[in-house]
Amino acid sequence: MRLINYVLCAATVVAYVFVVLKSMHIFQLNSYKAATHFRWLRKNIGTLVPSVLMLALGVVGIFASHVGLAAVYVLLCAGMVSYHLPVKKAKKPLVFTARVNRMLVTCGLLLIAAVWIALLLNVKYALVLLALFCALSPLAVVLANIINAPIEAGVRQYYINDAKKILRACPNLLVIGITGSYGKTSVKYFLTTLLKAKYNVLMTPESYNTPMGVVKTIRGELRSTHEIFVCEMGAKYAGDIKELCGIVRPAHGIITSIGEQHLETFKTVDTIIKTKMELADAVEGKGMIFLNGDNDLIRANMPSGERRTYGLSPENGVYAFDIRVSPSGTTFSICDHGNVIRDFQTQLIGKHNVINLVGAMAAASFFGVSYDEMRAQLRKITPPPHRLQLIRKGDVLIIDDSYNSNPKGCEAALKTLALFDGYKILVTPGMVELGQMQHELNREFGERAAGVCDFVILVGERQTKPIYEGLLRAGYDEPKIYVASSLSDALAKAYSLDTDKQKIILLENDLPDNY
Amino acid sequence: MKINLAVLLGGRSVEHEISVISAVQAMNSIDAEKYEIYPVYITKDNFMYYGECLRDINSYRDIPAMLAQCRRVYFAAEGSKTYLYPHKRGLFKSKPIALIDVALPVVHGTNVEDGALQGFLRTLNLPFVGCDVLASAVCMDKFATKMLLKTAGIPVLDCLLFSQAGSKDTDAIIKAVEEKFGYPVIVKPVNLGSSVGISRAKNKVELDEALGLAFTFAARVIVEPAVQNLREVNCSVLGDADEAIPSECEEPVASDEILSYSDKYLEGSSKSVGSKGMAGLKRKIPAEISPELKKKIQDTAVAAFKYLDCSGVVRIDFLTDRETGEFWLNEINTIPGSLSFYLWEPAGIKYTELLDRLISLALKRHRKESDIVYSFDTNILSTAGAFGSKGAKGKLGG
Repeated sequence: MRLINYVLCAATVVAYVFVVLKSMHIFQLNSYKAATHFRWLRKNIGTLVPSVLMLALGVVGIFASHVGLAAVYVLLCAGMVSYHLPVKKAKKPLVFTARVNRMLVTCGLLLIAAVWIALLLNVKYALVLLALFCALSPLAVVLANIINAPIEAGVRQYYINDAKKILRACPNLLVIGITGSYGKTSVKYFLTTLLKAKYNVLMTPESYNTPMGVVKTIRGELRSTHEIFVCEMGAKYAGDIKELCGIVRPAHGIITSIGEQHLETFKTVDTIIKTKMELADAVEGKGMIFLNGDNDLIRANMPSGERRTYGLSPENGVYAFDIRVSPSGTTFSICDHGNVIRDFQTQLIGKHNVINLVGAMAAASFFGVSYDEMRAQLRKITPPPHRLQLIRKGDVLIIDDSYNSNPKGCEAALKTLALFDGYKILVTPGMVELGQMQHELNREFGERAAGVCDFVILVGERQTKPIYEGLLRAGYDEPKIYVASSLSDALAKAYSLDTDKQKIILLENDLPDNY
Repeated sequence: MKINLAVLLGGRSVEHEISVISAVQAMNSIDAEKYEIYPVYITKDNFMYYGECLRDINSYRDIPAMLAQCRRVYFAAEGSKTYLYPHKRGLFKSKPIALIDVALPVVHGTNVEDGALQGFLRTLNLPFVGCDVLASAVCMDKFATKMLLKTAGIPVLDCLLFSQAGSKDTDAIIKAVEEKFGYPVIVKPVNLGSSVGISRAKNKVELDEALGLAFTFAARVIVEPAVQNLREVNCSVLGDADEAIPSECEEPVASDEILSYSDKYLEGSSKSVGSKGMAGLKRKIPAEISPELKKKIQDTAVAAFKYLDCSGVVRIDFLTDRETGEFWLNEINTIPGSLSFYLWEPAGIKYTELLDRLISLALKRHRKESDIVYSFDTNILSTAGAFGSKGAKGKLGG
């Protein structure tokens, strides 16, 4: 009978391994946050049923020592293994990061400890203990995380110190910090491109803007040949920017905007302002802070140190004016503290892009890149695909904004379309996944479109009804609306429309096939 | 953090030793505060060695003894980084000797200066000092240089090109030369520098000999008319296609009719193993030419440099006629002996600063090549759209 118990123990251990791996995957998707993990477990309480059954059988099994029960138990273990087999083609499979590996080791050690204790007792009780362990394994990962917390903090601190050491070894490296609720990633790309006219520049890639992201960039990418490091700084809590500044010690900074982004974690707008201004505090007395002077919250909270403002308003130190759009993009002039430099050309369109460009240009000029040198670099700046991307297709001009799907973006796209001269056609399936506000927001979108567009093509009848309503409410001519069954139908209609003006098609949002 | 600089020297070239002299000179002049030097010596049979002793010219007296103190190495590109690794066989991968930031090739002649080494470094994604592959290859080929410069309206001597295959019929070659140019003529292997294999022929017999010599060094040979009342004038150019400046002009003083290999490199070398190289040569700086001619030569040098998309420091050799004041661009040395530092000192650019500028130019070129913004690393073949089915986003496909 003892042999059966050993078999059962082994089966339990195998089940444990798979349950732990699956739990780890979930835990990773829940950003290793215990609260989120428990919420997930509560929602998916059903996943615990086999574990509880196993536990019960385990208890019964040892007292009964019944072969049939044991067989059921093994089957149950096998069931658990198959249930917890890693999902093939998971959207985001479990990534075995160093941290995950450390937690898995801890889970393993917990198991070994359990087995050891159990063996000290009696193989009968061992099974109960193991079954209990297996049943609780969705929690084992959380426990491992708690046990590992000091180690993780140490590891994190080690990496931060290492990055600091590397930066200290580069005393001539100029560090520029960029933060803001919106636009920081764009300004980072723009500034880096402009600075590359003259310098070897490293920037934090993609949207790496957390301490660990920045540290990873420094440890992995920073070379002795770099002259400037452009560091994007993100924040969700008060003190985040201060922490980042403590690591990279920026000499200069740019604050691109302050808005209500991440209000749920910041709690108050005041905290957001204070946090963003931590960058201004960090560079005070050392260097220059560049501020988007068009932003209300920034204007109302000007830092005291050396500063330069930029934007479209003439009150700013550096501002863009005479902004014109053409089929090849945007042309604008710049006034830098009274000096006027005319006719910069960019493929980008949209007001926010011009503001961000001006910010990058104001900073680049401060760092010694001449406005003339910037002209060639500006040509290299291209919009990311499907984000207000200007495409010329024969005689037709397409503004591809199909990536966008939020109300603010839709409004900005309509404003951009309004700047163009020609026959303006909107092609849109409307906005979805906006919850209770969806109907209202789409109706507003329709009302706005009525003031801008010469023709509106709605893709899909059902979910575009509110836009239709909005258009009519704004007094739009019904014959100038066409409801298309598909995008290809919509485009065919747009191409066939008869006009002697330049045709401009705004593609706003694009829905997958399930809508 | 210092910038890790690999200095490449030697190579399978007839100018192997000259490279060693030039490279050791350069290593002695590099700003040690800013750069960490990793000398990488390419032997005549193409092995690569690294070692501190490579920085001392006296080590090269006994090469086997020197190599015994060095480590065999290889370069490896890993993502955006290029490492210098010790060559080792074993179960475990060895640790790299260094992450190399930039390379300074101080090599002369075929197989190294002609774009071959430059292509190798490009494949390694390693920024390197000097001309890129195309300019290096064109400038190493005297015929290609002439043909290209002609299209830019830059004065070059007319020439006849002969290949090894046709060289069996020497009489035909001699006949063609006599018809086109008469005597004297200069015979040159098409792709060698440092005057190796070049000779002057005043008559049929000498021409025959000269061809024989030239064909032992190259498969293609050019013959051009000898300039009467010859004065050679050299001018160095520093910069890149955006901005380039000419140096002071020099006039090498020949002890023979043409500046020979021994003039160029063995002169003044009896005491310490030829440690002076091009810098030790007898010459006049500045060249004794009229300010007008000097200006013309400098302008022509810069124009040719930019036209051929050169980079770094090159030395452009001109032939002039003392009587008529005519001048012709003779050749462009993309890695000139001693890196032409002695031509820049009169302008106040010290060798240390020259090297610093060269390295900055190398980094600039590398930066320009890689600064394409928003290049999303997507594999076109991995998107469903490429196989006819429709992706959720991206119907217009850019």
